[in-house]
Amino acid sequence: MISATPAMPRRSPLRTRARILTATRAGAALIVSLLFFAPIYWMILTALKSGNEAFKATPSLIVWPDFENFALVFTQSNFGLALSTSLFVSVTSTVLCLVLGASIAYPLARVKMRGQKHIAFWILSLRIIPPIAVIIPLFLLLRSVGLTGSIWSLVIVYTYMNLPLTVWLLRGFFADLPTEIEEASFVDGAGRLRTFIGITLPLTAPGLIATALLCFIFAWNEFLFANILTGAATRTAPVGLTEYVTPVSVEWNKIMAAGTLVVLPVWIGALAAQRYLVRGLTLGAVK
Amino acid sequence: MPDSTATLTRGAVHRSGRGGWSWFARRYGAILPMAPGMLFLVVMSIYPTIYSLVISLFRWNLSDPTRMRFGGWHNFGLLLTDVTFWNAVGVTFKFVLIAVSLELILGLAIALLFFQRFPGDRFLRALLILPMVVAPVVVGLLSRYMLNVQFGIITFLTEALGLGRIDFFGEPNLALGTLIVIDIWQWTPFMFLIMLAALQGVPEDIIEAAKVDGARPVRIFFDHILHLIRYPVAVAVALRLIDAFRVYDIIFMTTRGGPIDVTQTLSWQIYDAGFKSLDIGYAAAYSWLMLIIVVATVTLVLRLLLNEQASR
Repeated sequence: MISATPAMPRRSPLRTRARILTATRAGAALIVSLLFFAPIYWMILTALKSGNEAFKATPSLIVWPDFENFALVFTQSNFGLALSTSLFVSVTSTVLCLVLGASIAYPLARVKMRGQKHIAFWILSLRIIPPIAVIIPLFLLLRSVGLTGSIWSLVIVYTYMNLPLTVWLLRGFFADLPTEIEEASFVDGAGRLRTFIGITLPLTAPGLIATALLCFIFAWNEFLFANILTGAATRTAPVGLTEYVTPVSVEWNKIMAAGTLVVLPVWIGALAAQRYLVRGLTLGAVK
Repeated sequence: MPDSTATLTRGAVHRSGRGGWSWFARRYGAILPMAPGMLFLVVMSIYPTIYSLVISLFRWNLSDPTRMRFGGWHNFGLLLTDVTFWNAVGVTFKFVLIAVSLELILGLAIALLFFQRFPGDRFLRALLILPMVVAPVVVGLLSRYMLNVQFGIITFLTEALGLGRIDFFGEPNLALGTLIVIDIWQWTPFMFLIMLAALQGVPEDIIEAAKVDGARPVRIFFDHILHLIRYPVAVAVALRLIDAFRVYDIIFMTTRGGPIDVTQTLSWQIYDAGFKSLDIGYAAAYSWLMLIIVVATVTLVLRLLLNEQASR
């Protein structure tokens, strides 16, 4: 079918129609985005409200920010300690994940070996096991080596939890790098390790950083293992949050302030990794 | 991996002569770095698997002084004849299937809104993806605050609409639905992001060709685009299914399985059996049944998604 190209005078109504369509889509997108953002806005707003404002009969949608709740979170409780524990556990497990992950992923992407696909898919299959299904044996295993209640038990578990994701992502990033670049380095006489550190790693840095951010987010948000494996002195921020809610006193302003403190770092991380978020969340299946 | 023979694809110098360390290094050097990580993965996965398979065959309650007794299939038999198990299966399937299918539909619909660029779309997208990185524990607390029967903002809205005060977590008819809505709020952004990437990956010439043929946008979507994005859809659905089965944090922070048993999911019951009743043999058997259910469901749904589309 051949449709005639519209003559000049007909273009402008078409354009107006296209504009109206775009405006409608933009309007709908705006409403949807605000709906999804509203609860987070409400949390941050409550955190910034002073005293009894959070319990007013008619809720106010805009307040003069009052950072007292944030100050109280740090001074009145151990939440600061919980945040630093979370930071330590998440960063350490992320670093371990990257080191172990890269040393598995690079050979998987570059070296021909028997059973390559099987190894890759076995690693992927670990992702399907529900954490609750392995938590009892893991708990007993960690207890038998005296690690329950220690920060290191969480570091180990989070490294294990994020390693499959890391391997799959890094394998994809390494495979995307043209082999010619590495070959040029070999011709120059550099060894495999020197090429990997000097050429491969810098060139895949954006992917490495995105992977690190994802590992960090998953470790930071984790609750099930943290709740069971930590003791009073080693609780992470998500576990610390649960202690704010007691039957006697529920100080919502402070809870929301603490919640905001938990969410803020991963928010920044997610926005920084946005370009790789899809790839990361689908373990490299969708780019 | 000692069983795999390594042949270096690039940059390897093959010299004759075998035996000794240098031979070993030349032959396996390129894959040797894999060893620590692989060992770690094997220990951390194989050990719990075998361990839980073994203890699932024992009657073993940590609070019981007589400790372990071999029970054979006792725990499995107990579970399969237990109404609370079948209740948990039903609750979990309701939760998982309703939440994930609505998330897929909503995510796809929102992705269509964002498919063609408009001013400010990047900013809105940044707002939209936030819910999925909020820690589930925070989501649980936030929903409790917002749905609070006395002073919650949602209660304020329902009263303004003349619906009165509604106890979303306490009402047996509403509790599971409320959890589903919360899950949809948190994970629709995930579906949206993947669907958007999938739509952007559809070759433009195919859509153009369909347009030239005079097909209407709705027909183009159902006849062509849906078929072309079936793999990303399958990946996204599989990942969401796997994660939805795990639902635990939000239940821990809100309903804790109640009211009565309407939000008792498989994860919650395993936690209950293992860490409250300390009946770890029973909990291990439960874990195995759950793993089988998850694997079977994901496989079945993947097959349905990919076959139905392929046969068109």
